Amino acid sequence: MTEILIQLIEGSAINAWILSHGWLWPFSEILHFIGLSLLLGGMLIIDLRLMGFLRQMNIIATERLLPWASLGFLINFITGSLFFLGDPGRYVINIGFQIKMLLVLIAGLNALWFVIKVKPVIATWEPFSDTPLLAKVIGSVSLVAWLGVLLLGRLIPYVGTG
Amino acid sequence: MGIFELLEETALALWVGESLWGYPIMLSLHAVGLSIVVGIFTMLNLRILGLLKDIELSAFKSLYQISWAGLAINAISGFSLFSSQATYFVTSKPFLIKITAIILGVIVAIFLYRCLYLKDEDISEKKTIKDQSTRNLAVLSLLCWTTAIFSGRLVAYL
Repeated sequence: MTEILIQLIEGSAINAWILSHGWLWPFSEILHFIGLSLLLGGMLIIDLRLMGFLRQMNIIATERLLPWASLGFLINFITGSLFFLGDPGRYVINIGFQIKMLLVLIAGLNALWFVIKVKPVIATWEPFSDTPLLAKVIGSVSLVAWLGVLLLGRLIPYVGTG
Repeated sequence: MGIFELLEETALALWVGESLWGYPIMLSLHAVGLSIVVGIFTMLNLRILGLLKDIELSAFKSLYQISWAGLAINAISGFSLFSSQATYFVTSKPFLIKITAIILGVIVAIFLYRCLYLKDEDISEKKTIKDQSTRNLAVLSLLCWTTAIFSGRLVAYL
């Protein structure tokens, strides 16, 4: 199954295009780092506030950071896809990449949980107070997941590819 | 033997350079520190430049503490990585540009802190920052951190 997928990607025009432009890889890596700074910068502040820290900050206003974090995610989704499509054989079998994607999925589901459970009621919370347990759990899961994504991402070149 | 050759012979350098996990662990920590420092300062700079007006600037006082912790992580992990190939890094132009950008970035961060929190008139309570020198520092800060990322990544290529 995975071998068919790898073959399919390696025979594609986009794969050839990525590999024929030598500057594209380092350029995308730079963008990937800028993207992660936007994503982590935004999420770090939102998550810490959800966990009950940074109480000088209006918890309802932290929502304004989401578009910047989302922009970071979008940049990294695009550049990350380029890496994957450029060298699928390297990533599919890499345990670091697999765990990283699992953590992205967990962070995504956790964000969905936030949208369903917290977002509809957050306007009724005291803006400069401690947060309910649910918010603390969601904030902690998010922060751990994103930091894990970062650690695992950087380990990809060094862990098992066999 | 010069100081950089000596550094490469230290126990730390040998652990980072020759053990199975030394280099990747330090590299991963370096990415975490980077995201904390650049992430927080990016949001602070956007706020100063008027793009996140509803976020309380006063809260960034605590975030400064966290960014110093991130900087410490990266000073330690960065020095460890440097020690393993010190003689190579000191000749790498992108590396020297990166270090210059980081030192400038830290100086700018200290000046920004003074502008925001240590002046007679506390501007951190204001919605809009009109003070031009504070806004200039925010632009400079964004430039420094972007240059650090840009040149840092190019160390592996040039």
